[in-house]
Amino acid sequence: MGVVEINLAQFALIYVLLLVVLFIMKRSKINQSKLLLVASFRMTVQLVLAGLVLTYILENPHPLFTVAYIIAMTTFATIRVLNQNKELNKKFKLAIGLSLAGSGTLIVFFFVQIVVGMDFFNPQYTIPLSGMIFGNAMTGLSLALKSFNENLKAQRNRVESLLYLGVTPKKILLPFVNNALETALVPTMNRMMGMGIISLPGMMTGQILSGTLPMTAILYQIAIMIAITAVVCLAVFAALIFGYKTLYNDRNQITI
Amino acid sequence: MDKIFAIEKPKFGGILEYPKMEISSGNTTFIQGASGAGKSTLLKLLNATLTPEEGEIYYAGKDISEMDTIELRKEVILIGQNVYLFDETIRENFRMYYAYRDLPAPDDETMKKYLKLCHADFRLEESCVRLSGGERQRIYIAICISFLPKVIMMDEPTSALDASTAGKVLGNLKAFCRENGITMIVVSHDEKLSEDYADEVITIERRGN
Repeated sequence: MGVVEINLAQFALIYVLLLVVLFIMKRSKINQSKLLLVASFRMTVQLVLAGLVLTYILENPHPLFTVAYIIAMTTFATIRVLNQNKELNKKFKLAIGLSLAGSGTLIVFFFVQIVVGMDFFNPQYTIPLSGMIFGNAMTGLSLALKSFNENLKAQRNRVESLLYLGVTPKKILLPFVNNALETALVPTMNRMMGMGIISLPGMMTGQILSGTLPMTAILYQIAIMIAITAVVCLAVFAALIFGYKTLYNDRNQITI
Repeated sequence: MDKIFAIEKPKFGGILEYPKMEISSGNTTFIQGASGAGKSTLLKLLNATLTPEEGEIYYAGKDISEMDTIELRKEVILIGQNVYLFDETIRENFRMYYAYRDLPAPDDETMKKYLKLCHADFRLEESCVRLSGGERQRIYIAICISFLPKVIMMDEPTSALDASTAGKVLGNLKAFCRENGITMIVVSHDEKLSEDYADEVITIERRGN
């Protein structure tokens, strides 16, 4: 039972759904029709390119391609996180990049090499799984940093009052780190709660569509959800635990 | 009288430049000056939450640039213009601030004593969320003074209080500080207050442009 190849002309019909969205957006005076068009166009081009690259890599598997793909993914994910948090200092940004790259690679390696038992450099496993792992790590990090920065700004009085009383910056800032980590983890845990009942997740759906036995597909799905939770936790924890230390100097002055 | 602070012409932020000043130990010193003259900044320089670009500040004879800043701030507490209380009861606020300072919470009687000193004798179970700005200010001062620092610096401590309450609070604090050898440094716009309670007044001029 293989997957039914989509006929390109029939495939084009899916874009008709965008017209529905466009129509409703116009009616509701949501002035984002340009964004919708640009986004769907970009998605199409990016995925076609990814499809071409993946076809080439899967036909000519080479460890270098796998490594290059992971590096590219980490770079783009880091840039996106940093673009949403421009006010951070350079060292904090470095901590974010390294945490994302380190924890992502570690989790993908554990998943592919140890749990699945495939070669880490085998692109068929490593590339799609990396995409999910790094993508989720990126979302988690963005969420955590946004909450960390917003809370620090909103509670500036608390930070200053404690500092003026002779409390160490470490003690003042750690609760903000813990809070941001919680903010990033809760949505992932909630997704696990609804899994299988409210949602049949993308990877599982994809595997079933392409003919994998449902019981095999769920094993992968369980594994990826746990891996995602772990990578969000690791990446956010590492980024913030190294990052918050860049917010004060050796005179215990907080520089935000 | 001993000098607790010797301030040797510190400069900050490229625009603030302070003259040579001294602050006597155990006294109540008021700092006055036009807005923008750097009164609040001076207090932050004194407890090393800011570092001057030039010049030195000596605390009890020691150059503060060579001191452990945390130890210094425990002795020289600054109460800023915007005080902070946790969204908890008054008792819990004492407990949390003491926990941040690694100290066991004081007993109820001690808390009440300091609250009374600051004319904030509310029930300890009262939630700080519902209190007014002036009430919060007084509770925060009570918590700070209960740490018994060597120096207490207050930036506009009576900004949210009416004149009569402001006078009572400051009068009580001054008497308490004198009794316990605590130096009090107050930045205030209120000239009446400084006439009534200052042992010394330092006026900072706005310099440059």
